[in-house]
Amino acid sequence: METLKSALDFSDFPRLDLVVAGSLAILFLIFPVFPHSSFAMATMIQFLMFSLYGMGWNTIGGYGGQVDLGKAQYVGIGAYTTTVMLVRWDIPFWFSMPVGVCFAVLWSFVLGYPLFRLKGHYFAIATIATSLVLKDLFEVWDFVGAARGLEISPIKFPPPDFLRLIFKEDVYYYDVILGFFFVGILYMNWFRKSRLGFQLRAIKDNEEVARSLGINVHWAKIKTYAIATAFVSVVGSFHACYIKNIEPEDTMSLDISILIALMAMLGGAGSLWGPIIGAGILIPLKSYLKEWLGATAGLIGIDLILYALIIMVISAFEPRGIWGIVQKVRRRRQ
Amino acid sequence: MKSAIRLGMVVVSVLAVIGLMAPVGALAAEAVKIGVIYPLTGGAAAEGRELRAGAELAAEIINAVYKNISMDMAKSQGIKSLGSAKIELVFKDHEGNPTLGADLAKKLILDDKVVGIMGCYHSAVTKTVSAVCEQYGVPMINDSSTSPDLTKRGFKWFWRTTPHDTTFTTDLFNFLKGLTEGKAKGVKAVPKAQIQNLASACEKTEWGSNVSALIESFAKEYGFTVKKSILYAAKSTDLSSEVGSLKAVKPDVMLFASYASDAILMLKTLKAQKAQPKVLWGQDAGFEAPEFKDTLRDDIVGVLTRTVFLPKVASVKKVAGEVDGFYQKKVGHSLSGASARAFTGVQAWAAVLEKAGSTKPADIQKAANAIKIPADQLIVPWQGIQFATSGEDIGQNILGSGMIGQYQKDKDGKISLEIAYPFDLATANLIFPFPGY
Repeated sequence: METLKSALDFSDFPRLDLVVAGSLAILFLIFPVFPHSSFAMATMIQFLMFSLYGMGWNTIGGYGGQVDLGKAQYVGIGAYTTTVMLVRWDIPFWFSMPVGVCFAVLWSFVLGYPLFRLKGHYFAIATIATSLVLKDLFEVWDFVGAARGLEISPIKFPPPDFLRLIFKEDVYYYDVILGFFFVGILYMNWFRKSRLGFQLRAIKDNEEVARSLGINVHWAKIKTYAIATAFVSVVGSFHACYIKNIEPEDTMSLDISILIALMAMLGGAGSLWGPIIGAGILIPLKSYLKEWLGATAGLIGIDLILYALIIMVISAFEPRGIWGIVQKVRRRRQ
Repeated sequence: MKSAIRLGMVVVSVLAVIGLMAPVGALAAEAVKIGVIYPLTGGAAAEGRELRAGAELAAEIINAVYKNISMDMAKSQGIKSLGSAKIELVFKDHEGNPTLGADLAKKLILDDKVVGIMGCYHSAVTKTVSAVCEQYGVPMINDSSTSPDLTKRGFKWFWRTTPHDTTFTTDLFNFLKGLTEGKAKGVKAVPKAQIQNLASACEKTEWGSNVSALIESFAKEYGFTVKKSILYAAKSTDLSSEVGSLKAVKPDVMLFASYASDAILMLKTLKAQKAQPKVLWGQDAGFEAPEFKDTLRDDIVGVLTRTVFLPKVASVKKVAGEVDGFYQKKVGHSLSGASARAFTGVQAWAAVLEKAGSTKPADIQKAANAIKIPADQLIVPWQGIQFATSGEDIGQNILGSGMIGQYQKDKDGKISLEIAYPFDLATANLIFPFPGY
């Protein structure tokens, strides 16, 4: 009960933040009711997915200050568990998704124990390496379709099917991922005020001091890494049902790991709203720049240049991301 | 008198309005939108440019009259059965990303209201895009993806004009077998022991991994030994360890399935490590992209690639020569396997729409299943286009065939592809063994 109370308590935020967040929440809820293009819907789903990925990354990367660049391996574990269980044994999403989370958390413990002996850049490099190794293993593992991957056939699994999460219209996927998104925000709101949340911030500020205060630094990091992993794995399972086709190159590539970290960092690592702001800017920007300029003859590739330019400008202006800019402006006003 | 003038003015006005309306009526046939999803950026951007140029050329020929091209679709404007409606291609860039491809397919179907879809070159992307089309009941004609699995899924809204890798790999092993039987032009029978050992390196998505598996299974069937078979990432910036491991088994024949950037890198690395295979063969794609030839120049003399179109086909097929000449004027170089297949894909779309006489999906489906485009209408050297409606390979063009070309240098120092297989169509003596570096 106390946990739920804490999750629902946003009173430490300025009123303006709550008004903006509340308005956006209502907007998200009523978005499907308004006329919209399928492209806008796909962009919204991508935004919500990457917000959740970012929230997961934010626990260990933002609050804990451990730059994890290997989240794609957990996207893969979630996506593969759901697809393999569905395709091979016809086990529905709502059962396979938690199983995927269990596998991902288990794997995170296996990796986390040795990885958190490393610090700084070495940790970041090690996370990349483990993710790439797992991807390579999946690429030669016939049981999971090897490099060709697995397909959830629209003939074998006809829509609509809520249990297997197979729909024709994207609006149903939107409803499901929006549900996960709200749960994710509540969880993160609880997490940042939890004992573990405070421990992590202490570790981030000064690991030695944190240790001297009696915090089990290694265990705190491993636990948080597992939480981050669970978030990512849930969205990975969702991704499999949404796309209906997974393969290692698409699901577990380094690009995904970097994009997850980039969104959270750009929005503002270590803040509740940071990953959402990052995804809210970068996902529509990427999609719409591509849509407007991407396939236009003579302008091919210019969307990528503009996209990169915006990222560079924001990071050069305020390394703490967009949320850092907001706070800077607020401090100046005060 | 006044009323007569008035009446005259009314009549003239009415006639003028009718006159104005008549051409509007003629133009009223709305353009038929076809969504085309290709890799316009990323590792396969070079092939994407080729594909786009080929598709655009076909649309241009369909939409206007070209008396110097002896194709039915060049004789009239647009699709006759749809009131001369023009074909409009709506291009999208999938970057080689299957997830993005699926999103783009939904956008094309729901937002752009396309009648059908074409693409996507990368078999992995075609897989997700065709699944979206199947779900929405929208026809998709695949012009350029060769993974055999694509037509083995029992889809009702998916047709493929290009032959797939089973056909191409059969050609490769028939070529190797023919080499041992002395069938290759200008080469005496090669003892099998000299080309017994094979090694393959294929990019590791849907397409490459399928090619790799096919090579292994065909090698067994034809009595060759695959000494090494590796999968690599097409995005790799360094292939030295891959080439090193291939070289270590001392293969007689090196086989590749690569996109443009990795094909170029692979050949450069092979040269740097002084690889000495007797046969070096590429499974189309990167091995016949214009960039491959322009970047590597003399280093590719003797390299073999499977394809569906070679400029030399123009000398045997009149219509191919006409279209190739037109393409050269527009783009600056000859048609490649990619552009020729994209051209043929749009041509198939036009023929299907012509037969359907409607843009309703069910009518298009019926027409696609019944269509037969004769060989003399095609620029590619196939027996025609006719899709399988039953059996394992539903939607596959059963009249397609492949070729193997070899890069050779002519008297003027120009490097071009000569037909090496089918042996009876060979346009030059085969260079054997591969000259090496």
